[in-house]
Amino acid sequence: MTGLDLAFATTGLITAAAAALAVTTRHVVHSALWLVVTLLGLAGCYLVLGAELVALVQVLVYVGAVVVLVIVALMLTRAPIGPRAEHTTGPAHRVLAACVGAGTGGLVAAVLLPTAARTPVRPGGSEELARQIFSTWVWPFELLSLLLLAALVGAFAVAGLTTSQEGTR
Amino acid sequence: MSKDFIPGLVKGMATTARQMMSPTHTAEYPDVAPELPARSRGVIALVESNCTSCMLCARECPDWCIHIDSHKEEVPPANEGGRARQRNVLDRFAIDYSLCMYCGICVEVCPFDALFWSPQFEYAETDIRDLLHEKERLGQWVADVPAPPQLDPAAAEAPEVTAANKPTRGGNRPPRPSREPDSRGEAR
Amino acid sequence: MSLLEISLRSLAALAAVLVLPLVAGQAEHKVMAHMQGRLGPMYAGGFHGWAQLVADGVKFVQKEDITPAAADRSVFRLAPAVALIPYVIAIALLPIHPGLAAAEVPGSVLLVLAVIGVGVLGTLMAGWASANKYALVGGMRSAAQLLAYELPLVLSVASVAMAAGTLSLAGVVEAWTPWWLVWQLPGAIVFLIAATAELQRVPFDAPIADSEVVMGPWTEYTGLRFAFFMLAEYAGMVVMGLLFGILWLGGWQGPFAEQLGWLWTLLKGALIVLLIIWIRVSWPRMREDQLQRLAWTVLVPLALAQLALTAIGVVVTT
Repeated sequence: MTGLDLAFATTGLITAAAAALAVTTRHVVHSALWLVVTLLGLAGCYLVLGAELVALVQVLVYVGAVVVLVIVALMLTRAPIGPRAEHTTGPAHRVLAACVGAGTGGLVAAVLLPTAARTPVRPGGSEELARQIFSTWVWPFELLSLLLLAALVGAFAVAGLTTSQEGTR
Repeated sequence: MSKDFIPGLVKGMATTARQMMSPTHTAEYPDVAPELPARSRGVIALVESNCTSCMLCARECPDWCIHIDSHKEEVPPANEGGRARQRNVLDRFAIDYSLCMYCGICVEVCPFDALFWSPQFEYAETDIRDLLHEKERLGQWVADVPAPPQLDPAAAEAPEVTAANKPTRGGNRPPRPSREPDSRGEAR
Repeated sequence: MSLLEISLRSLAALAAVLVLPLVAGQAEHKVMAHMQGRLGPMYAGGFHGWAQLVADGVKFVQKEDITPAAADRSVFRLAPAVALIPYVIAIALLPIHPGLAAAEVPGSVLLVLAVIGVGVLGTLMAGWASANKYALVGGMRSAAQLLAYELPLVLSVASVAMAAGTLSLAGVVEAWTPWWLVWQLPGAIVFLIAATAELQRVPFDAPIADSEVVMGPWTEYTGLRFAFFMLAEYAGMVVMGLLFGILWLGGWQGPFAEQLGWLWTLLKGALIVLLIIWIRVSWPRMREDQLQRLAWTVLVPLALAQLALTAIGVVVTT
């Protein structure tokens, strides 16, 4: 076990622990903050694997923008300080959620584990990443952005519909 | 966004830049003494020798902050066989500056020019009772009293002088030179 | 890299974060005072009040550290550190002199932007954890503003990185030529505006507008924790100023760059910091809707246009 392995294991553990805390804590905003730790840990994992560009983009986009958006949304709600009874779920829900989680995890593991062999990690420098994105993955990438654009337009349409109805009322 | 938006921003920055280049207005008070205007009302000073203990100031004072004690003294006659006269001797003259409201009525009302406004204003105390100042302290402030400002050469003459200079009904009396002591006027 | 070198470099970065913001703050005191016809601090330290901010620091240390009873204690206490530490990292990444930065990493342009993005979380944590309505309103304004201005900021920096063909700050400085001043001008303006908004300084200080929401997210803070927020603000100003100098004004490039490169970098950074101070003195605060309109209808299109312009330039010249 090399130092790099150890670092990867540590960041991985931190990520997993923070992720678990993010879904189990009863403070809504704590959940968002644990999400920050999770995302930072994930960025650390990428960094240990030598993909510093992916790690930085992860921090920039997810911590800098997405989590801020989540926190804005939380502030717009009546997010209380301290645990709140409404945010707890009954035992039935918990069992169901655990089943769904275990099922998804099992599915992913079943797909990924057979392919897991000791493969040398390819250096994921920015040049290599750029070449991959703009040659092999350019169509999926563009398709994804089209999907997001459609979602955005849809959201606008929905928001516009509700306001116009209120206007006629 | 109106069309004045960008010019307005530039103008704001130009104004501040110009202000930075021009001298500041800060009064560095404890280090540099302030330039007070003439007739500043700092504190009331007492010229003790002019005071006749007539009590006019103490009576006029709206909040009764002037304390005067005096006694009468026999003055022997100046000439042989003359009548002995009495005069007032001032024992105590005190102004309580914790009560004084700086109206200046006492200065106005004093017929013998014993009270003056001094521009001195640095006489704060840590205890309110220490603001009662006796005549010794009031006398020290006389040194700060500025000389009265010069009369404006174009100013109208005082009513007394005008009255004295009015020609008599016959019109044959020569007019007196103005702004000179008038013995009749003073005696009146 | 030996342990000694690592610790020396860390100490240098820490010293820069402790000294440069104080210099910027003192400059703000004095420049703002003279722009308003005042003298500013004159006593602390003797000569023209040079030690005013040191004295302020001593005052902050003596003050009581209060945590409100209703606050979310751990988040409340952590927030100042989250606000300040990213700027320590950011300042460590900035190359001051040819081949001289406290920490040299390949993707330093992205890393600086990323840590600044983390730093703004401190404000949000403070706003939410204070259990104070002013702090919450300030936090919401802050979040909305940061969300809007993060995009033009990143886009304008991306344009420079594209023009230089590298993601390293030192590489950008080496690739810089004077005609970038014209070619990259729209991006530079976008960056300056977005950076001012990111720092929540006038005219974008609605989140901490003291006449409206007391002190916004900082309302409940006292003593050293408040001082950390102030330090973070001024450290942010220094980082943004130096970053602007490095990306758009050519960093250490200038006469005698081999010997005086560090001086050129600091001078260019100081120029931008002065400009930010000058703007603060001159302009009124923007309203929340004006902020959003400026970001989405002016800055984002401008940054995208700059990106296209840069792309054309890069394709034509190579």
